[in-house]
Amino acid sequence: MKHRLLLPALASVLSLASVVAGGAVRAADTAPPGASSCTGCHAAQRIPDSVIPRIAGRKASDIVQFMREYRSGAWPSTVMGRIAKGFDDQQIDAIAAWFAAQPE
Amino acid sequence: MATRRTFLKLTAAAASLATPSIASAQASGRVVVAGGGFGGATAARTLKALEPKLDVTLVEPNATFTACPFSNNVLADLREISQQQFGYDGVKKAGVTLAQTSATAVDASAKTVTLADGNKLSYDRLVMSPGIDINWGALPGYDEAAAEKMPHAWKAGAQTVLLRQQLQAMDDGGLVVISSPANPFRCPPGPYERASLIAYWLKIWKPKSKLLILDSKDTFSKQRLFQNGWAELYQGMIEWVPLSQGGKVTSVDPSTLTFVTDFARHKAAVGNVIPPQKAGTIAQQAGVADRTGWCPVEPVAFESTLRPGIHVIGDSAIMGGMPKSAFAANAQAKVCAAAIVELLAGRKPVDPILINTCYSLVAADYGISVAGVYRPDKGVLTDIPGAGGTSPLEVVGGFRGQEALYASSWFKTITTEVFG
Repeated sequence: MKHRLLLPALASVLSLASVVAGGAVRAADTAPPGASSCTGCHAAQRIPDSVIPRIAGRKASDIVQFMREYRSGAWPSTVMGRIAKGFDDQQIDAIAAWFAAQPE
Repeated sequence: MATRRTFLKLTAAAASLATPSIASAQASGRVVVAGGGFGGATAARTLKALEPKLDVTLVEPNATFTACPFSNNVLADLREISQQQFGYDGVKKAGVTLAQTSATAVDASAKTVTLADGNKLSYDRLVMSPGIDINWGALPGYDEAAAEKMPHAWKAGAQTVLLRQQLQAMDDGGLVVISSPANPFRCPPGPYERASLIAYWLKIWKPKSKLLILDSKDTFSKQRLFQNGWAELYQGMIEWVPLSQGGKVTSVDPSTLTFVTDFARHKAAVGNVIPPQKAGTIAQQAGVADRTGWCPVEPVAFESTLRPGIHVIGDSAIMGGMPKSAFAANAQAKVCAAAIVELLAGRKPVDPILINTCYSLVAADYGISVAGVYRPDKGVLTDIPGAGGTSPLEVVGGFRGQEALYASSWFKTITTEVFG
């Protein structure tokens, strides 16, 4: 009982410490660089008659795979190949994780 | 030996040490956003979405926003002007306070904005997104009265409707003249999309007519794609005169619809002057515009390099490699809003990455695009090498049709994100 009360406090102190130790103190829900531009075309909400696929709530591994294949040209595209070439693997991973965590 | 009591003390000590950063981790304060276009309305909504505690006021005199992207479709009778218009109900519902009036003065040291209705707003951070104003006086003969004879239609609305009326009233066989300014200006591919869509409409309704583009530049955005499209679809209808062949318009005579260059006088049946531009007037007043007429900013939070505490986004700002587009303004606004939340919480914003994509229509179902990915480098937003570029010159299958569909889907998406 006592331990159960203590654990959340300890956890929050530890997680705070790890965020501080990580360098910049940042809100956990901050979008990674590049992500906010995506929603200009890939809407957060459903858009009637839009042919552009939504990415919010898609599996991160799927987004990563598409971005890498757009970048290499393995998967054909109109504009996404040109955009994907601006991002490295780590940046793609971060953006994919961010959109995967957004409500579908 | 760590007892429960000492552990609690340690926890409390850690918590108290942590308290200042917890307190400063939450942004609070007052942000004023001047200008309710793609930049300003996005910034206001994003600020509120990221930090609901912020007091965000959007200053915008118009009850309805008229969007420029797709307004060339109105000229070609492919859309009505009402489809370009959006109200601010969505923005208000998002928790933004709307001040439906114009900003008349900004005091950067007192951190206040004076409004035309007499009120004065104080701010912790000010976002200015005033768009463009026509640089009246930069082209001899072209003033507000001249724009009623030779519309610019470079701010969508009544000017767009006027130009469409003139085109519809023109006799078949008439000459349409478009003058295009030197860089920089709003929507670099816009004059050439306009020429394309007017030609598209002329070909259907007034096929003996011709279109002349008088250009103050020797190259333009998506040039080869446009020129290939013109050769393919509008053979012999569109003539483009570059700077080096005497394309620069040095004055206009609105009474005779005449464009004057160093080499010739071109009398138009319909004359569309796309004039030199500058940052919206309030930017000049606030002291955030430099001698070029545009606003220099740093590339992370887009804070003015001339007036601290004021951020400038969209067409009025000097954004390095990024063009003046609605997509860019929207992307900059989201980055700016996130950076302001960080700054108000006492944190340093991280370097952003921004994307721009601009679609143009060569015909109703023939789309082309240019894209870019940008990051701060040596103090300016710079193209990431190897990324971006235009649609390919050679394509197979339905590529151009697909890009036309993406163009209209983008417009629906961005207007929903900003105004929906």
